Amino acid sequence: MTTAPEETPASDDIIVFKDVHKWFGSFHVLRGITTSVRRGEKVVIMGPSGSGKSTFIRAVNRLEEHQRGQIFVDGVEMTNDVRHIDAIRRDVGMVFQSFNLFPHLSVINNITLAPIKVRKLPRREAEQAARALLERVGIPEQAEKYPAELSGGQQQRVAIARALAMQPNVMLFDEPTSALDPEMIREVLDVMRELARSGMTMMIVTHEIGFAREAADRVIFMDEGTIVEEGPPKEFFINPKEERTKLFLHQILTH
Amino acid sequence: MAQTVNAPTLPPPPLSAGALGWARENLFGSRLSGALTLVSAAAIAVGLWFSLAWIFFSADWEVIVKLGGRFVIGQYNAETSCPGQNCFWRPQAGLLMATALLGVFWAITASVSVKRAAFAVALTSAAFAFLPYSLNEMGWDVRLLLLANVPALGAGWAIGRHTPLNTPSRAIIASVGAFLLTLLLLRGGFLGLEPVVVEKWGGLMLNILLALTGIVFSFPLGVGLALGRRSNLPVLKLLCVFFIEVMRGMPLITLLFMSQVLVPLAFPENFPLNSVTRAAIVIILFSAAYMAENVRGGLQSLHPGQAQASRALGLAAWQTTLFISLPQAIRNVIPALANQFIALFKDTSLVYIIAMLDIVQIGRAFIQGNTEYLLHARELFIFIAVVFWVFTYAMSYFSKRLETHLGVGQR
Ligand SMILES: Nc1ncnc2c1ncn2[C@@H]1O[C@H](COP(=O)(O)OP(=O)(O)OP(=O)(O)O)[C@@H](O)[C@H]1O
Ligand SMILES: [Mg+2]
Repeated sequence: MTTAPEETPASDDIIVFKDVHKWFGSFHVLRGITTSVRRGEKVVIMGPSGSGKSTFIRAVNRLEEHQRGQIFVDGVEMTNDVRHIDAIRRDVGMVFQSFNLFPHLSVINNITLAPIKVRKLPRREAEQAARALLERVGIPEQAEKYPAELSGGQQQRVAIARALAMQPNVMLFDEPTSALDPEMIREVLDVMRELARSGMTMMIVTHEIGFAREAADRVIFMDEGTIVEEGPPKEFFINPKEERTKLFLHQILTH
Repeated sequence: MAQTVNAPTLPPPPLSAGALGWARENLFGSRLSGALTLVSAAAIAVGLWFSLAWIFFSADWEVIVKLGGRFVIGQYNAETSCPGQNCFWRPQAGLLMATALLGVFWAITASVSVKRAAFAVALTSAAFAFLPYSLNEMGWDVRLLLLANVPALGAGWAIGRHTPLNTPSRAIIASVGAFLLTLLLLRGGFLGLEPVVVEKWGGLMLNILLALTGIVFSFPLGVGLALGRRSNLPVLKLLCVFFIEVMRGMPLITLLFMSQVLVPLAFPENFPLNSVTRAAIVIILFSAAYMAENVRGGLQSLHPGQAQASRALGLAAWQTTLFISLPQAIRNVIPALANQFIALFKDTSLVYIIAMLDIVQIGRAFIQGNTEYLLHARELFIFIAVVFWVFTYAMSYFSKRLETHLGVGQR
């Protein structure tokens, strides 16, 4: 199709999922996801292992392709059109559980690669911005090191800086602290809190209840590929409606 | 009580207690290791004793002296190859360019290993100028050109430091240019230069030229084949798999033999394709197949999260391949690539099958033509083996340095 991409009804919603389905082979992973995320909203996604949380947020920037339904990001529908995908990926930053820094590049080059190659920023400008971002995530002195020379918490903060360097409007986090020791979890969550205060739209898969309570506008609970329940953290944690939510919360709280 | 705050910072304990301590720890750590050390030391001593005795007293190195420059350039400067002219300077010009370029790279990279290579080449070449041949056998002109490698190194360094030829990519382009210029010079047939047919090229020069061509061209071709084999386009994938399996499935010697019959089929009739070019093409294709599998192994070993992170940042598929996947994949398989290039260098000797006189074959032909040296074939072939070893060891050394430099296995 060469026509202009379909516009979403409410332009205040930066991400819209309409009855999204996804299969891995014959395995039905996402079973009709319908939800939307407002500009500036912070959404935390929780759910048992294998419930499809990663698949859900990876569908936002099409690291996973959905097979039925519609996904809109910034009013542009995600289709197979490469130009849309690339445009949206530039606009959506992602942070992974396993950091996925590029081991052959120094920290500064990890951060400047995409701005230079994709946004065509001059190197000098990109490096200035990168140093400012390293300052922001609290590790300005690590710029020349290689990822393997950093602690896990430092690596994840570099990964956040790398994503921010593309000046995204949305940030996706897939269990950003699950691979970290408690002390490092705090440094990363601090950075995420600061990011949340700055007004960034965020979708975060996490089991950090404290973080969810204080930073999230809404919690989504997923199980078996569907959204079982969603609501503001106060209601969600204190007064869950669904049996499955109660069971899950009971499990992680007593864990 | 933990004393973390006030505990003094101490220097680390000394790594070893001198040579004696080291020996006690590593050579005589236990009864068994002590016994093994003594037995090995005895074996080494006996081996050394007999080798040195043979090298200095029994062996007759006359045959090496007699062959002299022919080891390096084969028949290139013989009267039949280059009638009426003295052509020795053309390969030497190539050597001078190579030395100068090493100087350029030394200035650009400031790397110790490049510096060592540059000095090794320049000083070894210059040292040959002092060989105790008579001036009849080795003229002033030859000696001066050999000595010129030292100033050439300095000139190259100055060029890399003070002229626009000061970035790696420019130096690489210059190297390719110098390589082509060397081939042209060797070929001759312009500006009054007597043409020398490639069938007369030979000696170590031929081995090096074939190996260089093979490495330089099989590298990009192999990377392309590896990517093709992993691509989603079924036809492209099939073609790459077919090519790789066919090339790997045949001995190089068969391919070289066939090259004389089959390669011409791929070119228009009367296309001026000599036997050396045909051999070079076959060597490139053969090496590319192995290269492709090595690189594919490297690509396979990458964590899928690497490509995902790159795509998530908005880099296109080709950018992800070029900046993320390939650099890591190639870095991870440097040992395998070094292995392959070493094998390639040694395999260039197989061109004897198409009647080319490489360094090995020059030696063999000489012995056959001068039966009085038949008894000294041993010295001759040991010498040739050492020459090969020097080159392959240099390749091995550089791959090791490169690994360290790129932090293979470290980061
Ligand atoms: N590439 C894939 N191929 C086949 N099945 C997959 C693939 N990726 C995920 N799955 C399956 O899909 C289901 C959902 O996976 P997903 O990673 O989205 O779960 P998750 O909720 O993020 O779980 P976790 O908390 O363990 O990360 C799982 O059962 C998983 O085994
Ligand atoms: Mg997950």
